[in-house]
Amino acid sequence: MKKNLKMTPEGTKDFLFAECSAMDYICSSIEKVFVKGGFKRVITPALEFYDVFSIPSSGISQESMFKTTDNKGRLLVARPDSTLPIARMVSTRLKNNTLPVRLYYKQAVYRNNPSLAGRRNEFLQMGVELLGAKGKRADLEILTSAIKSISAVADDFRIELGHAEVFNALSKELDIDDDYKEKIRVSIESKNYSALNNLLDKLEPCKTVSAIRSLPSLFGGEEVFADAYDICKGTGAEKALDYLHSIYKELSVLELGNKLIIDLGLVQRNDYYTGIVFTGYINGIGDAVISGGRYDDLLSEFDAPMGAAGFAIDTDAITMKHLSDDNVNYSDNPDVLVFAEDGHEMKALKYVDELNEKGIKAQFSVLETLEETEQFAKSRGIAKVETV
Amino acid sequence: MKPLRIALTKGRLEKTTIELLEKIGYNCDEVKNKGRRLILPIGNNDFEVVLAKAADVITYVEHGVCDLGVVGKDTILENGSSFYELLDLGFGKCRFALATKKGTDFYIGYNTKTIATKYPNVTRAFFDDKDMDVRIIKIEGSVELAPLVGLADGIVDIVETGSTLKANGLEVIEWVCDISARLIANTASLKLRKAEIEELQKKLEAVTK
Repeated sequence: MKKNLKMTPEGTKDFLFAECSAMDYICSSIEKVFVKGGFKRVITPALEFYDVFSIPSSGISQESMFKTTDNKGRLLVARPDSTLPIARMVSTRLKNNTLPVRLYYKQAVYRNNPSLAGRRNEFLQMGVELLGAKGKRADLEILTSAIKSISAVADDFRIELGHAEVFNALSKELDIDDDYKEKIRVSIESKNYSALNNLLDKLEPCKTVSAIRSLPSLFGGEEVFADAYDICKGTGAEKALDYLHSIYKELSVLELGNKLIIDLGLVQRNDYYTGIVFTGYINGIGDAVISGGRYDDLLSEFDAPMGAAGFAIDTDAITMKHLSDDNVNYSDNPDVLVFAEDGHEMKALKYVDELNEKGIKAQFSVLETLEETEQFAKSRGIAKVETV
Repeated sequence: MKPLRIALTKGRLEKTTIELLEKIGYNCDEVKNKGRRLILPIGNNDFEVVLAKAADVITYVEHGVCDLGVVGKDTILENGSSFYELLDLGFGKCRFALATKKGTDFYIGYNTKTIATKYPNVTRAFFDDKDMDVRIIKIEGSVELAPLVGLADGIVDIVETGSTLKANGLEVIEWVCDISARLIANTASLKLRKAEIEELQKKLEAVTK
């Protein structure tokens, strides 16, 4: 049998040198925003019980989780997400804490993606959770934190904002079963106008049906609200729309211009989100790098009902994009290589420290001779060799 | 700003799409005289066209290296994942069908049926909807052969005119779904370059109606 001795599993990779430096830079830029906002770091285990992720609204499919068992035969998974473990933790360890709590995380998540699609099965995510608070203030804080985080690492970005209740309220007014509702939701999510029309044509025409028909096209700037009010007038979506509009107006002081988009067709994981939902995109990355929103029902699943909102950032994707930018240079070369003559090793080591303290990147040569040291410096492109 | 990059499915869909792009006023001479090139400019460098196999069009769009794509609904149903499906372009029309040997009753009996197909995911979804457990065998070439030589009870395949089926003594017993060419978009691109994409979408919509 051939051993898989020299390769990593599909969807995983080693990170070397510049990749690590770039990742550190991206993570610390985001971390600064989190810490300034008063969010405290938590770490949850990489392995969790399957049950944590199998709650009805989790939206994480069984197929996408890596599974194993513990020594009692109970099913474990490599965490596919950090929010659910944090909800578990808050509902137990922090249940007597004064609310709200602000938490942030920086840890890998694991997803078993279809093979050979070039997707990552392990990737680092950072995110925040604001638990035990509902309402506009909490929503505004989460949104501005997301905007600050993405601005800290990119200039050309878009944040799109929607509300889970727009679709949920409308679909409740229709006499359809859950399967049919899900089909409609999927076609809105993928902006699949032809499939959506086919589904809606089978229903009795009414105000609600025509409102749902327009959802995927209702995205853009503030002008969306005028259209949306026309279309949703008299339906259950009006309340959510009013709320969304007030949030949008508050955010206008940030002068984001066209970087802030309204998208009423934002309906992903609609069983999970209960209020605002948002995603963030960065020019040059083909997938969303931020996703988040309000999920007030989640903590009830863990018998600790409370308001909750948060978002996750795909820091891996941002790091790779950052590395491909032309002006980025993570040279790991020292400025000076210090060679010690026999008997002067400790003195040379001290000299290295002194140089480093002055801000000159110095490194101690562990090679036996000056010739070897000079050769090494030459092949690595280190400009200077000093002898002590 | 880089021009929008559109992935086209090589062959017939590519030709019809190019005709549409010419109809709405873009110069497509470069694509018509492409030689062996795979990336070609269109109009006054308004767009860049990439030519690829159907399933690869989806892959390129999904990863965001192409902003838009033109691909058949058959490929989307079989390989589909996350992207926006903006427009039914109305050409490349055909249908998925379940076909068996003429005169046999496919649904009779308790034995699990065997289906030969090039589209295992479409087949699986079709029979899942019927709560029917079937054995699916993936065939790469002429699927019509499988029931004739006794490998399968039926086939799920694309049917255009039905003449190949007829010539081999097969008949359609059920239509699975309609197929046509679709305009798809990368999710991030639609948000980052909304105006450009919507403009093209509107123009295409106007000439395909």
